[in-house]
Amino acid sequence: MAHFLEHMVFKGSERLGAGEFDRAIEALGGSSNAATGFDDVHFHVLIPPDQAPLALELLLDLVLNPALCKEAFELERDVVLEEIAQYEDQPDERVLQQTLTRACPFHAYGRPILGRPESLRAMTPDSMRRFHQRRYRGSDCCLAISGCGAGTLRQCTETSPLAGLPAAPSSSAQSLLELSPGRHCIEVERLESARMLMVWSGAAAADQCWVLGADLATTLLGEGRRSRLVARLREELQIAETVDMDLTSLERGSLITLEISCDPGQLDAVETCIQDELTAPEPFSSMELDRGRQLVGKGLRYALESSAQVASMSASHRLWGREQALLDPLIHLQSWSSERLQADLMQQLQPGRACTLIATPVGRS
Amino acid sequence: MPLPVLKRLPMRTPGVMAAKLLLPWGSACDAPGERGSHQLLAACLSRGCGPLDPLQLADRVEGRGAGLRSDAHEDGLMISLRCTVEDVDDLLPLLGWMVTEPHLPLDQFELERSLSLQALQRQREDPFQIGIESWRKLVYRDSGYGHDPLGVSADLENLAPERLRELSLRLPQGPAVLVLAGCWPDELNGELNELSGFRNWPASQSTETPQDPVFDWSSDNDVTLVSTAMETEQVVLNLGQACCDHGHADDLALRLLQSHLGSGMSSLLFQRLREEHGVAYDVGAYLPARAGAAPFLLHASSSADRAELALTLLLDSWRELSERELTTAEMDLARAKYRGQMAHASQTASQRADRSAQLHGLGLADDHDQRCLGRVETLTPKHLREAAERWLKQPRLSLCGPPSTLSRLESLWERRQSDDVSSRSS
Repeated sequence: MAHFLEHMVFKGSERLGAGEFDRAIEALGGSSNAATGFDDVHFHVLIPPDQAPLALELLLDLVLNPALCKEAFELERDVVLEEIAQYEDQPDERVLQQTLTRACPFHAYGRPILGRPESLRAMTPDSMRRFHQRRYRGSDCCLAISGCGAGTLRQCTETSPLAGLPAAPSSSAQSLLELSPGRHCIEVERLESARMLMVWSGAAAADQCWVLGADLATTLLGEGRRSRLVARLREELQIAETVDMDLTSLERGSLITLEISCDPGQLDAVETCIQDELTAPEPFSSMELDRGRQLVGKGLRYALESSAQVASMSASHRLWGREQALLDPLIHLQSWSSERLQADLMQQLQPGRACTLIATPVGRS
Repeated sequence: MPLPVLKRLPMRTPGVMAAKLLLPWGSACDAPGERGSHQLLAACLSRGCGPLDPLQLADRVEGRGAGLRSDAHEDGLMISLRCTVEDVDDLLPLLGWMVTEPHLPLDQFELERSLSLQALQRQREDPFQIGIESWRKLVYRDSGYGHDPLGVSADLENLAPERLRELSLRLPQGPAVLVLAGCWPDELNGELNELSGFRNWPASQSTETPQDPVFDWSSDNDVTLVSTAMETEQVVLNLGQACCDHGHADDLALRLLQSHLGSGMSSLLFQRLREEHGVAYDVGAYLPARAGAAPFLLHASSSADRAELALTLLLDSWRELSERELTTAEMDLARAKYRGQMAHASQTASQRADRSAQLHGLGLADDHDQRCLGRVETLTPKHLREAAERWLKQPRLSLCGPPSTLSRLESLWERRQSDDVSSRSS
């Protein structure tokens, strides 16, 4: 519903006809888009500074007063069904979703953000309107503006519909993520190389110190040629083609994923190697720690170059109650010594605590 | 050749510098039987150079939290560095060493070749990739743009390491450019030949310089369609034609048509296929800046039962380009989107360095974009239609999807082709 509503918002408001918003923004030299994540939905506009007040007015009208007409609803449902079909045609996406479904069987993070065709077909404009009225409330909404003259727009917001938006009624807290460990094997049509995915759960994004520690740990293990898993699996043993390790910071419990693609004949060797590297890891050297801290710290600094990224990060922090400057999280980096990483994070990243999915091409398991 | 031309683009950043070194040796220079050689060479350049072995090089870059990439695209080989200002002195010399003193050790060559072969194999999972590669092969055949820069498995398997070393020797030949954007230390305001890493750039005259990519316009054949059967949910449609280079007088008119067709949610394809008919999620128009005959390509993907309507709408949209002029409102919107694209593509130091290097590589003036922004106001709908008349009259179609649907789409294509011939002859 959240993702479908994100689409429907662009179908017009009580004031703006279908497509009128896009034409207006693009005629001003701007662009707009939106993205639905597990925790929240972002609507964003990139616009020349002198046109920002008008763009803001249009955006707020579109997001806060969507028309949700029946005809547009049915047409857009077809578009979302096409989007689902497009993802289904990407084996990588299928493998990832299969992993999350097994890792989080009783949690929203295990369900596809795009939804399932049968649930989409059961939705109505009325059910979507109720969802919008329930969810798009003042206390659930954050507006972030970044770029030249951003400060001058504050006055516009004070007289905007945003100011009168009622607060959300107190709702029961959503459940924290509980991951289901296990090992699963599947065959996937049209897969050309094998995949091995491992997913672990971790602290919620509110625990920024843990988030920085996990970011550091995944960097030490999986970012760059000198990271432990890339160095071992791809560079030395040459049994994997790609090694990607990522932290997804989430509000109900973060996810750490390790994804490896390799020849199906190398799967056993890859799995054994990962067991060795994670089960009894050597302490991180000071050189490794320096490297990891540099990569994490500089990565955040690079992100500050783009006003779109600055606005996105600011909105996320503020929406979820984290009153902090964008570089503040870096103060936690120094507190992650080798000993603390071993005790608090490498213990968490044991293979037995992961949900592991082995995906192979059909007939090659 | 002399040292690369050095361009500096100072701009406010959070202490970040982007450097782009562009050499005129891209995948279009891959010799027959060596498709993928320049990308493989590019990948190997970061595996040891100058005084640093592969591990020392990785330590130097990653230990400073920097990013270093080396990739061949169709028209050039680009080495890209992003780092913070305090690390510029340690890292910028790498770009020079990678060109003048690459180590190219055999074990690293074999590793990169293996990774390329595996990446090519994995690309075959993606119907979009297969669709575009089939279209590329149909239109460009064996010319320089006829293959993905990553190459072709059979050619890579037979490529000898000695050949890569030969190719590396000509890297400093030909006109190169180094663009710095963002912030850098004051010491960097001197001459390039004072900079470590670039002092050994050979000063000899060029013995070999790349040729402009050749496209054989005369050999347009009767094959207009390629189909690839794949058991997918959707059919991927690619419809397009080779047209002019980025410096051509018609390029700007075609760029406005690309904006009109595929840029943003107000674009014709988005509105027609997605908003009015709901037959596709992802639609667009693609026109990269190229030194030679660039592709003008429309793409969409649609479920098997709606693919005929999607193809009909794509074909109608294509035909209209040369049959009717844009309205004043459409023309104004296309201009605004073109201006917006220019602004959006120059936000970060990396984006600005990239564009500056690209313009230089294409032999275009530094103020090319500013001139285009001025000229775009003088173009009329008639100019755009005339450009479409010249360049967009013989599209080629690539289909990738379930076999049962492909036959229906092939029949539709044949009918439309016959109709077009009839209407031209009547």
